[in-house]
This record gives sequence, structure tokens and C-alpha cells, in this order.
Amino acid sequence: MIRFILLRAMWGVLVIMSVVTLVFFLIFVAGDPAVTVLGPQARAEQIADFKAKKGLDQPVPAQFLSYLGVMPCVRKDSPKYERDDGSRGFCGILQGDLGESYSHHESVAAVIGHRLPRTLLLASLAVLFELIIGLSAGVIAALRRNRWSDTLIMFATFVGISLPTYVTGPISLLLFAFLLGWFPFGGYGVDPLDHLYHALLPSLILAVAGAATYARVMRGELIETLRHDHVRTAKAKGMPMSRVVIKHAIRNALLPIVTLIGLSLPFLVGGAIITEKIFAWPGLGLLTIESIESLDAPVIMAVVLMFGVAVQMGNLLADIAVAALDPRIRLED
Amino acid sequence: MDSRAFRRFRRNKGALGGLVLVVAVTVLGLAGPWLAPYDPVEQFTDALLLHNGLPAGPGIEPGHWLGGDVLARDELSRLLSGARVSMLVAYLATALAVLIGVTLGLVSGYVGGRLDTFLMRVVDVVLSMPFLLIAIVMQRVWDAPGIWTICVVLGVLSWTTLARITRAKTMEARELDYIQAARALGLRHVRILARHVLPNVMGPIIAIATILVARMIIAESALSFLGLGVRPPTASWGSMLNDSQSLLLGVPRLTLYPAVLISMAVFGFNLFGEGLRDAFDPKD
Repeated sequence: MIRFILLRAMWGVLVIMSVVTLVFFLIFVAGDPAVTVLGPQARAEQIADFKAKKGLDQPVPAQFLSYLGVMPCVRKDSPKYERDDGSRGFCGILQGDLGESYSHHESVAAVIGHRLPRTLLLASLAVLFELIIGLSAGVIAALRRNRWSDTLIMFATFVGISLPTYVTGPISLLLFAFLLGWFPFGGYGVDPLDHLYHALLPSLILAVAGAATYARVMRGELIETLRHDHVRTAKAKGMPMSRVVIKHAIRNALLPIVTLIGLSLPFLVGGAIITEKIFAWPGLGLLTIESIESLDAPVIMAVVLMFGVAVQMGNLLADIAVAALDPRIRLED
Repeated sequence: MDSRAFRRFRRNKGALGGLVLVVAVTVLGLAGPWLAPYDPVEQFTDALLLHNGLPAGPGIEPGHWLGGDVLARDELSRLLSGARVSMLVAYLATALAVLIGVTLGLVSGYVGGRLDTFLMRVVDVVLSMPFLLIAIVMQRVWDAPGIWTICVVLGVLSWTTLARITRAKTMEARELDYIQAARALGLRHVRILARHVLPNVMGPIIAIATILVARMIIAESALSFLGLGVRPPTASWGSMLNDSQSLLLGVPRLTLYPAVLISMAVFGFNLFGEGLRDAFDPKD
């Protein structure tokens, strides 16, 4: 088990490293960050000055090794550029330094730290809605199998899977925010309670596809479980249906659902780009778009890094959770 | 498709409904630009722009059945020519993904060993790539991004599921007696793969590819919705959603038309694909 986790984690680091390398060089193919950040009006000496400060005048491989933290720092404006004894310091991700944002005039860690809690609020609410709506719809559908309520729920899940957020988002804004006035018209709000209120509609929209998937999985598992002998025995003994469902069926359905949650986490955390844009929710998704548009390389790299870590962690946690829930599964390498 | 799978498919009403939708949107994509009554980029500022600055509604101006869009262009013509772009991108990107995924999956599953391990690691790396980010960066790399860039980006980033499924099925097929026999006879590997293994793994590939078309429709529209897909003034359903964002409250119909079409297309391909999957691989 420990061996498996270590091997998987090592492999995960390798995957993340290759993605980071690829994106780092891609950014330089995409354009000149100095020109994009300073704008078309910038004078040549301003651009040269910016490049010297950020180390952008160095060869790209040197910049990359400095970013990794295996070569001395090339960013002259970094406090770690020169040590007290005059030697050059390191300022890469190995030292836990994500650099300084080009357009926010703050450290990348501060920018992310500012945005991450907002995205986490959205993501955790979305998972909550997915589970509540998805699981209960799945249970109802399975218990009324092949009756009209089952057909209706299954049809609804199909619609849910087929509706992209950029369709449901604007329509829900139109309906629930504009016509009915139940929810605010996007934005983030001013105090914690207000943040929560502003997060409700976007997280519901974010939860549609997940809820539909969970409902289908739950229904399938429950139908499967209800066929088992021990469940029939439990029913014959007179165990109320609600307990049968809770004690046996939900437990069985937990496995695939935990896996699905694990796999969906990176997309909830890093991939809510479209939902955040529609609802003007200033989280990591909006930060991603902004940083790409302005070629804010340190922020782009940090977002990619976080996304990679989230994907690998999600996969690993899903595997571990499944092994913990199901004694039949032994993790092998 | 063998006859049992075909019968199972025919009994599945949802799948048949999906097929009808798929045929409908495909025909729309093929014939759309010819059916369009006007040039989709021509502006009718006199006829389709009202005095309050909003576009004219449906039926106000004769001939412009769905009225005008944000820039006073004929909405119906844009929807119809947008159908071509959206469907073309979806089909081409899927074709590319099938080409890459199935080839790598076949080779990986058939050859096995170190090559297999390596190729599956490549799958892991591609899966860890932030899709939108790569798509956006690629758009900037190719200075004149058009429909082709989007197809390549979408195709290159979405072959992983297909590769995994094809690999698993190929590994099963490899052990079948007649394929062992073909190998023992010394047939060339390429021939064995193309003539004997591929037909065996075709069913699930077709089903996954169909669902992938739905995903590609969503992905293309998502990029265009973010203003990173097809360039204006070209219309795609996603870019029309993007155009209409500013008038969401004033003229909601401009959002609804492309939204309904995208949802219908995605819904159709999903239903059809699921039906195929159930037909090839019945669980109940």
C-alpha cells in the first residue's frame, strides 16, 4: 500500500514536471510577455528594463532552470537574487517560490491565495449540490424503476449531461436573477454571508452535469444491489426500505461515486473558467483567463502547476479511498 | 454492427430519437450555408436596426424570419452557416482524435511491453494538460487561427479515452484463437491489426467516438464563447452565444437560438452514442 502510494506519487511528480516544461516553453512560443504586459505604447527601454528585471533577457533554457530552482536566480527584482554574502540565490519552485506576477505587482502566491478560497467555496458548494440532488434523484429513480418518475428522472439526467454551462448559465441568470429576482446578478458580494448568497446560483449551474452523472450511477448501483440475496433477506425480515437503501445500497454506490468525485475535483477547482466568467466570480478560473490574455507567465505556470497537482492528487485519493472502502481491492503497483 | 446489436439498438427508443437528432443537425451542417437566405456577415443596418439601437425582432422585416443579431446581420442566415462551422469542427476534431487514439491504442495493446507502458504514460501526461489553457496558447501560437487550428487542438487533446478503450479491447482480441493463428501463419502485423483486430474492437470505438462528437461540439462552443474559437465575423453557434452576451437581458432570443441548437446537437449525439454503447455491450 505505502509502496503503491509512493510509486504513484513519484509518477505524478514526473507527469506534472513534463506538463510544466511543455507549458513553460509554449508561453514563449505564444508571444513576448514583456510586450504584452507593458502594452503597445511601451518604449523600447521600458521593455528592455522589464526584461532585465524579470530575467527575460536570459536564454529560455536558463530561465526554465532558474524557474525550477536548480540554477541560480535570473530575476534581478527577486529578493533572493543576491544573498548577503554576495553570491547568487535560488528562486524557483523547488524553493517554494512561484515568482511575482507581471500584471498584479504581487507575489504569485499572494494572488493565488487571494483567489483560491473563492473557487474552493464554489467547488465545495457544487459538490454538495451534486451529491444531494444526484443521490436522491438516483435513489428515487431506482426505487420506482421503469415507472414514469424513473423515466422522467433519467430523461432529466440526460438533458443535464447535454447542457453545457454556457447555455445553462446565461439562461439561469435571465430566469432566476433577472425575471424572478431570487439571486444576485453575478459578482462576489461584500461579506461572508453575501459571498455564500452570490455563490448559490453559479455552484448550482456547476453541479448540473455532476448531479446527472451521480444520479445515473446511483440508480444503476441501487438496482444492482436490490437484486442481491442479502438485500432480499433484509427485506423479507421486514427491514424498512429506507434502511435497506441506507445500509446496503448507498454503501455499494459509494465506491464509483468517490472515484468520480476524485476525478472531477481538478475541473471543479481549476476548470470553472466558463462558469466564473458568466457569473463574474473572481476566482481562479477568471484569473486563468486574465493571466493568459496578458501572458502573465508566472501566474499561468502556477495555475498549470496547481491543475497538474490537483489531477494527480484526485486520481491518487480516488484510488486510496476505493481501497479503503472495499476490502477486496488491494493496491498493487 | 452484427444483427443482434442492430436489433438491440432498434428497440431502444431513446437511441433512435438520438439518431434522428444526429441526422438532423448533420444535414443542417451540410446544407445550412445553402439554405441561408442572406450572406451571414452582411449588415442590414437600415432594415434590422431599430431606432433604440436594438436589433429587429422576428417577422418585423419581411424575409428576415428570425430578425437581426447584435450587429444587424440576418440571424437565421448566421444560425444556418454557423451550423456548418460547428458541425465541421466537431466531426473533424473527432476524426483526428479517432485516428490518433485508435492507432496508438491498437499498437499499444498489440505490441505490449515497454512501448505499451510508455504510450500509457503519454496518455497520463495529456490528461493532465489543462485543456482550455493549451487551446488558448495554441490559438496565440498560430497567428491566424481558423477552423483548422481549433480542429487540431481539440483532436490532439482528446484522444486519450479512445486510446485506453482501444488498448483494452485489443489486449482481449490479441488472445483470440484466430488472431494467434494469424500470427503463427506469419501475416504482417499491420495486416493483422487492420483486418483482424480492428473489426473486433470497432463497436465500442464507434460508440465512444459518437459521444466524443458531443464533447467536441461543447468544446468548440466553449472556446468560441470565450472569444477564443472561430474569429469574427465567422459565425459558429458558440461565437453567436458570445456575441449575444451583451444583450442577454435586452434581447434574450439571441442567446436562446444558438443555446437550443447546441443543446439539441449535444443531446442527440449523447443519446445516439449511449444507445450504440448499450447495443454493443449489453449489461442487462
